[in-house]
Amino acid sequence: MAKGNKKTELKVFGATVQGYAQACINLNIVAGTKAENLIGEIEITGWYPFEKLREIERVVLQAYENSGPILERVGMEMMLGWYNYGPGKEIITRGVDFLHFQTGSQGYASVIKGPENLVGSFNLEFLDEEGGRARINSTTPFNKDQERGVIIGGMTAPGDLDFIDVKNDENPQIFNIEFA
Amino acid sequence: MSLEELLESGNVPKKGDLTEEELAKLFRKYRGLQKKQERDQAFWSATNENLKIAYEKLDEQERELARTYAIIQDDLSVANKIQKALLPQASGKMTSEFELAVYHKQLAEVGGDYYDFFNTCSGSYAIGVLDISGHGVSAALVMTYLKAQFMTILEKQDSPKEIVEWINNTAYDFLKTVKKYATVNFVVIDSTALRYVSGGGFGLLVSGKDSTVFKKRDAFLGLRRRAFHEYELPFKKGDVLALYTDGITEAQNDKGEDYSVQRLNNLIIKNAKKPVQEILDRCREDYTGFRSKDSDDITLLILRKKV
Repeated sequence: MAKGNKKTELKVFGATVQGYAQACINLNIVAGTKAENLIGEIEITGWYPFEKLREIERVVLQAYENSGPILERVGMEMMLGWYNYGPGKEIITRGVDFLHFQTGSQGYASVIKGPENLVGSFNLEFLDEEGGRARINSTTPFNKDQERGVIIGGMTAPGDLDFIDVKNDENPQIFNIEFA
Repeated sequence: MSLEELLESGNVPKKGDLTEEELAKLFRKYRGLQKKQERDQAFWSATNENLKIAYEKLDEQERELARTYAIIQDDLSVANKIQKALLPQASGKMTSEFELAVYHKQLAEVGGDYYDFFNTCSGSYAIGVLDISGHGVSAALVMTYLKAQFMTILEKQDSPKEIVEWINNTAYDFLKTVKKYATVNFVVIDSTALRYVSGGGFGLLVSGKDSTVFKKRDAFLGLRRRAFHEYELPFKKGDVLALYTDGITEAQNDKGEDYSVQRLNNLIIKNAKKPVQEILDRCREDYTGFRSKDSDDITLLILRKKV
């Protein structure tokens, strides 16, 4: 059940928390009772303190010395789950739609709530569909490796793109995306 | 042939097989695969590194576990020696008046079955057989506590009822605190009779063709603060007294059947004319043949008043 009612608190939608935990389980990053504890009692329609996600993230960070590629894969796995078993197919039909969905940070806004300065944004700043280029600016509190995985996973899921590459700018908040 | 059909067929395309657009698609697919491979490689490399670290940690934990286990084994071995030293040797005077045989086996290095021989303040012989709940170190620690209590009260008392009641009252809070209890069989042997108190203990007296099973209507030590009942039975020369805990009688065979009190008592009665060591050996052999495995500490004490 969602806990805490403070308006000043950052909260994440239950489906996202569950998606994150389930991705860790699918990838065998956690198993056994640790996995049960991760996924236990999460209601997908509830709202949870952001700390709940941090808890899961800590599991990965503690287990892996080089956690970047793992968190990226977790992000991809989350979005495959979102597309195949969640509402994804109703929202996007092409890989590039996933980028459109981030316009005005609408995709991100549907899974997080709280004070603006804490929520941040995940905003599509530029998109050249023909040229296969885009840029997303993320000021969210999420891990950037994981967010890179979210973009790759979200664009890969519909299966229409042959090539997807996401690189971070010198500024880690900027994701430069190439696709074809 | 389309690019998809060409890829499906596995045939290398010849010049002119692919359109410019298809070549571009092929290029994009190849780049896509390259990127995917890079990502996969990074993921598996991180996973392998993690696996290596996990194995190293596991090795270290195993070594630590082995070190800890060795320390615990050493401690248990010492505890075993201490507990054995605390178990009694019958006095020379006692063995001159009684034939005595004891089968005492602990499930672990240290255990919760406890028997002891005492002299009461009036010079009578006394025997206590107790089964402390649980096994291992905690039960053994309770045993040492109870032994100290018996030694204290026996300097002042010679009534089994008074002795056991005093022990129960004194030990009650302690036993509650440590969540333990103990069955008790306490017998004081006078010149022509024995007096006993039984709180869950097992006792059998064989006198000629007659046999009497101990009444065990009282509670275990540490369960209730209640009065205990004392019973008196004639104890003549040649009579055989057996005191035991439930380690033998509750042991099960492969079919899940209990060895049973009845079976043990019948065996003792049947062999009662034999030397006590022989009675004990028969019981032990029969038990060993019956049970699938030991499941509790065992104490069987057989005593005969010498003729």
